[in-house]
Amino acid sequence: MSRRNRFSVPLKRNQSFALNITSMTDMFTILLVFLLQTYSTSEVNLDAVNGVRLPQSASEKNPINGVKLSVSATELKFDKKLLASLNANSFDQASIDPNDSNFIKPLFDELQNFNKENEKLAKTGNVLLQADEALPYSVIRKVMYTASMAGFPNLKLVTTVGQ
Amino acid sequence: MKRRFKLNINHNSEFELDLAPLLAVMVKLVPVLLVSSAFVQMMIIETDLPQVVQEAIQKQENNPKSAQIAVEVNKTEGVKIVVSENGQEKIEVIGFDSNKKIDYATLHAKFVEVKKAHPEIFKIDLNPDAEIPYKDLVKIMDEARKVRVSDVRFPVKDPKTGQDTSTDYMFPEVVFSNMLDG
Repeated sequence: MSRRNRFSVPLKRNQSFALNITSMTDMFTILLVFLLQTYSTSEVNLDAVNGVRLPQSASEKNPINGVKLSVSATELKFDKKLLASLNANSFDQASIDPNDSNFIKPLFDELQNFNKENEKLAKTGNVLLQADEALPYSVIRKVMYTASMAGFPNLKLVTTVGQ
Repeated sequence: MKRRFKLNINHNSEFELDLAPLLAVMVKLVPVLLVSSAFVQMMIIETDLPQVVQEAIQKQENNPKSAQIAVEVNKTEGVKIVVSENGQEKIEVIGFDSNKKIDYATLHAKFVEVKKAHPEIFKIDLNPDAEIPYKDLVKIMDEARKVRVSDVRFPVKDPKTGQDTSTDYMFPEVVFSNMLDG
């Protein structure tokens, strides 16, 4: 017997082995419980908007279907479409109607178009407004005013759960 | 011959549970839940604009005796609760605390007081100044919506059955009444 043969490990190449998946199942069970806790049961899922810090409230009402508007410190968006820019809590002059300082023209036009395309949703008149908590009432008022002029008077203020 | 058919049961034997199907279900379920999970839970506050509450306004117009509650917010005085009834106005002012923030505890207590005096009213007119932060408005609406003390409830008549019942809601309907002002 040569010295090399004496230390070789006997390998069985066709051998099958059972994988121990108990620990993996444990991990998945914990993950599943966590995800079930955070599972949203509301009919509408709202995505957080970049640059918008929502205020906290004790409200217990789940979001409902409606037009999604968001106002951050720098921009006003309809869903994901940029409608107007803000600078130091005031809308750019181009987007404000010269005869009415509360009227945001691009927002009104967009809502009018939406009215024609989605009659069913537009009939509800619901607006889900995600606005930054630091914005002054003057900015929120302009959005509310224009939305109500365009036939969306039911304003729903989106907040995060708190308190 | 009889011994040939006797079953040999070993009560101390161990067996391994087949976890593979369970794991397969979980592997499918986890991505589904990951996609539909809301990690930031969002809620909504309903605020009626003047067009929507026309009916309520009409009701109040038909009943001139019913009280009107207005909440004015400004940066110099704080929150002013104005209760108008029978042509008379009663004003309560809630100022700022030592940190120059609205004294929300006192504000809530005042709302409870007003609600106790007028349990039939569920709507308030909110008139904030232009520079009031949105965060403060949401907080004021929170203070007005529901009573926090569990043993305080307000009487209300069920319009369908006509029976007297009670509620912990104070002023859930908020109308931005100065929204259409120039």
